[in-house]
Amino acid sequence: MNIIVPLRQVPDLVEDLEIDASGKDLDREWLKYKINEFDDHALEEALLLKEDVGGTVTAMALDGDDVDKLLFTAAAKGADKLIKVTGDFPQPLSSHAIARALASAIQGMDYQLILIGVQAVDELDGQVGVLLAHYLGVPHVSVVTGVQVTNGKAVVHKEYAGGVMGEFEVTLPAVLGIQAARQTPRYAPVSRVRMAMRKSTIEEVSASDTAAGGTPEIRKLFKPEKGAGAQMLDGSPEEVAEKIVSILKEKGIV
Amino acid sequence: MPELIPTREIFRHFPTWAQLLFYAIAFGGTLIFFYGVYSRIQKYRQGRPENRFDNLPGRFVQALTTVLRNKTIYRGDPFAGFAHSLILWGFIVLFIGTVIVFIDHDILRLLGYRLLQGTFYLWFSLILDIFGVLFLVGLVLMWFRRTLVMPFKLDYSRVDRKEEEYDRRGYATDDAVFLGLLFFIGVSGFLIEGFRIYADQPEWARWSPVGWLTAEFLSFMRLSPATINFWHATTWWTHAVAVMIFLAYIPFSKAMHMFTDFANLMFRDENVPRRLPGITEAQMKEGMGYKKITDFTWKELLDLDACTKCGRCHEACPARSAGQPLSPRDLILDLRTFADATFGTSEWFTQKVNGWDTRTAVVAGDVIKAETLWSCTTCMACVESCPVGIEHLLHIVQMRRTLVDEGNMDDSLQEALMNIGDYGNSFGQPERARGKWTQGLDFKIKDARKEEVEYLWFVGDYASFDPRIQENSRTVARIFNKLGIDFGILYDGEKNAGNDVRRVGEEGLYEMLVEDNMAVLQKARFKKIVTTDPHSYNTLKNEYPEFGLEAPVFHYTQVLAQLIDEGKLRFNKKLNYKVTYHDPCYLGRYNRETEAPRKILQALGVEFKEMPRCGTNTFCCGAGGGRIWMDDSNIQERPSEQRIREALALGELDYFVVACPKDYAMYSDAVKTSGNEGKIEVKDIIQLVEEALS
Repeated sequence: MNIIVPLRQVPDLVEDLEIDASGKDLDREWLKYKINEFDDHALEEALLLKEDVGGTVTAMALDGDDVDKLLFTAAAKGADKLIKVTGDFPQPLSSHAIARALASAIQGMDYQLILIGVQAVDELDGQVGVLLAHYLGVPHVSVVTGVQVTNGKAVVHKEYAGGVMGEFEVTLPAVLGIQAARQTPRYAPVSRVRMAMRKSTIEEVSASDTAAGGTPEIRKLFKPEKGAGAQMLDGSPEEVAEKIVSILKEKGIV
Repeated sequence: MPELIPTREIFRHFPTWAQLLFYAIAFGGTLIFFYGVYSRIQKYRQGRPENRFDNLPGRFVQALTTVLRNKTIYRGDPFAGFAHSLILWGFIVLFIGTVIVFIDHDILRLLGYRLLQGTFYLWFSLILDIFGVLFLVGLVLMWFRRTLVMPFKLDYSRVDRKEEEYDRRGYATDDAVFLGLLFFIGVSGFLIEGFRIYADQPEWARWSPVGWLTAEFLSFMRLSPATINFWHATTWWTHAVAVMIFLAYIPFSKAMHMFTDFANLMFRDENVPRRLPGITEAQMKEGMGYKKITDFTWKELLDLDACTKCGRCHEACPARSAGQPLSPRDLILDLRTFADATFGTSEWFTQKVNGWDTRTAVVAGDVIKAETLWSCTTCMACVESCPVGIEHLLHIVQMRRTLVDEGNMDDSLQEALMNIGDYGNSFGQPERARGKWTQGLDFKIKDARKEEVEYLWFVGDYASFDPRIQENSRTVARIFNKLGIDFGILYDGEKNAGNDVRRVGEEGLYEMLVEDNMAVLQKARFKKIVTTDPHSYNTLKNEYPEFGLEAPVFHYTQVLAQLIDEGKLRFNKKLNYKVTYHDPCYLGRYNRETEAPRKILQALGVEFKEMPRCGTNTFCCGAGGGRIWMDDSNIQERPSEQRIREALALGELDYFVVACPKDYAMYSDAVKTSGNEGKIEVKDIIQLVEEALS
């Protein structure tokens, strides 16, 4: 079975983030990137599936800063094939643009599964996987926590709010948005990463669709603003309830 | 009548066929002995090559003096050392005596010469009797120790298995056979002598005092000459056969230690584990570390056979003491059992193979379990206490490399390694924040990347990032500043030095850290390096030179002690505290620096009490070798808590003084978790220095 895992880099939140002069994007000059945590889980699940049923795992990423290291790290963990998708991508990259670029590169490849992180810190609405499935015309399940493959079908678990789980059977090929792998993503020993840098090759595939659009325009990017402060209410539940009522009345809300 | 010349007949009253029978038995015994030795050597030849052949004469002399003086056995256990020297010297002298008999009887006699006669024979007889007695006394003492004293270290119980899961009867039998056979040989030897003297009544009998006394004793029985001769022949033959059985038994039993231990002491590397070997190209290709028994070097295979099960490492190990599934002794013995099972050169009294399939079992993970390997704090107590130069720690790190390569580690360790890889520190803090701790100072520490300094202070992770320790770092800075020391730091140019990363087994990450640190160090201008962290101190001092570091490296206590010597550091007031001092493993044991901190304490005027385990025999806090990054919920009593208990047993104390940032964190925690808050307080030595200077 051939599995494709698109990997994305996201800003490292350990560093202090700054907003650039335009006020619409992060100041990316000193930004440190790291792998999107959910994509790391998608890669882990793909490697586990390969251990279960055999096949290949292809790690794929859109061209950008430090993308080679990202792909070599995937190779160190066990990815068989590395693909860098090149092209003149629109900036900032929207979910739609990412999905179109990926779809145009994947189109025509031999695959049964695409595992992608369900979301990313810079894409909390989790649209890339959904859109990718749409552009490729294949089924999609999101918020997946476990994947099993039997007889050309995948049985997946999807997580709902409140701890409810759903089990789905999906015909392949399909795109799955991975919430968490069955186990913690594996460690990539540095010597393996270095060996991958020396021995593995990154195949370049150019994206035929690099159109922008499809997403709302960012008008303003800003850090969370502090509120005026909270007022703590003390006393017994009855007293607190009374205070709340009087405040609400005072403000003319009730 | 011609004067009788003192001598003795070797084959007294023996017909030719009996003499021939003896030679046949002797030949058989010798053949088995050499076959056994040969198969052992063949076994070691299957290990990976390693060059330990530099300075062979020096190595030989050192091993010889260590063995003859029983130096490493006396250390830490004078009783065992004494008994062992009696046996060793008795054995050597009796062996030389036997060789002289052989040369005299089977070589010189045929050429028409005699050596064993006259005065030489008399002295020969006396000396052999004396050493024969010492030999027997040594054996009795060992028997006494093994059966009546039964020290904890000789208990073969395992910490990692239930009683029904293993069988130590083979070891116990071997111990009994070894002592018993030697004792039988010694006693039967004296009996032969006694019967001979009783029968022949030579005038020089008193030159064999034990034989003469035996004869005197036997004479009470008023035996007929025929009976005496019968008993002489009987004891002669049992003695001779026992000796030949012993000879054949040597290479297949614990008796082999007389050869393997000499060789092991001769080929030891004094720098292990201070300086660990890297990974070879060949190992890289096949996956790092140790999967098959043939991944071990010949010296490591020799290590396995060198173990005499003396149990000193088992007793000293903080992981074992904390109830974790690691005993350095059992680790070595398991590897030996596995090696023997794989190579087929088994001992006579062997252990069952513990459910491994020797064709498929992986050394790191199956034979030695991951949780066993991860329990090690790399404190080096095992290597230090081993009388025969076994390098347990090297085995452990090599096997850990395999675990790391396979990602077989706990999540918190993985996170720490990833943080170190991403940010150069285990805290997962941004690189730029490394120098942030200096912000609380009222002066600016020089940036050694920009201006020349005398001392480059390599601060380390814990001293830079741990909020509990940052204040101690600022204290060090203030003291250095006050004493006029010209120093600087690398700010965000510094990364984790990698000492513990290497000992975790993440060699690739270690190399990366060294490369990054060396790149910055090579651009900085400084004369010497000073560290607050003994772990960084160890790798910078002992391992970085291999990567091009030339500057001398000091621990801050060494710098302060030197200033005291030079009269440049004087304290205005004496401190009236009762304190004890904990030697950090990586300073006291690894690098033998035990004097400098004590010199400072002396200058401070505190009342100083030494803990039972101190200096190079210090006890680990439990944080080393990456343990500080791992889960410790499976521990019964943390080593740090045991240590606080040890300190409190000294009586009333104000401070538990440390000279290591990790110790400060570990022991501050231990005082709280063991419920001893208010009874003792942990202080870094620099805090006392500041108090005495204020």
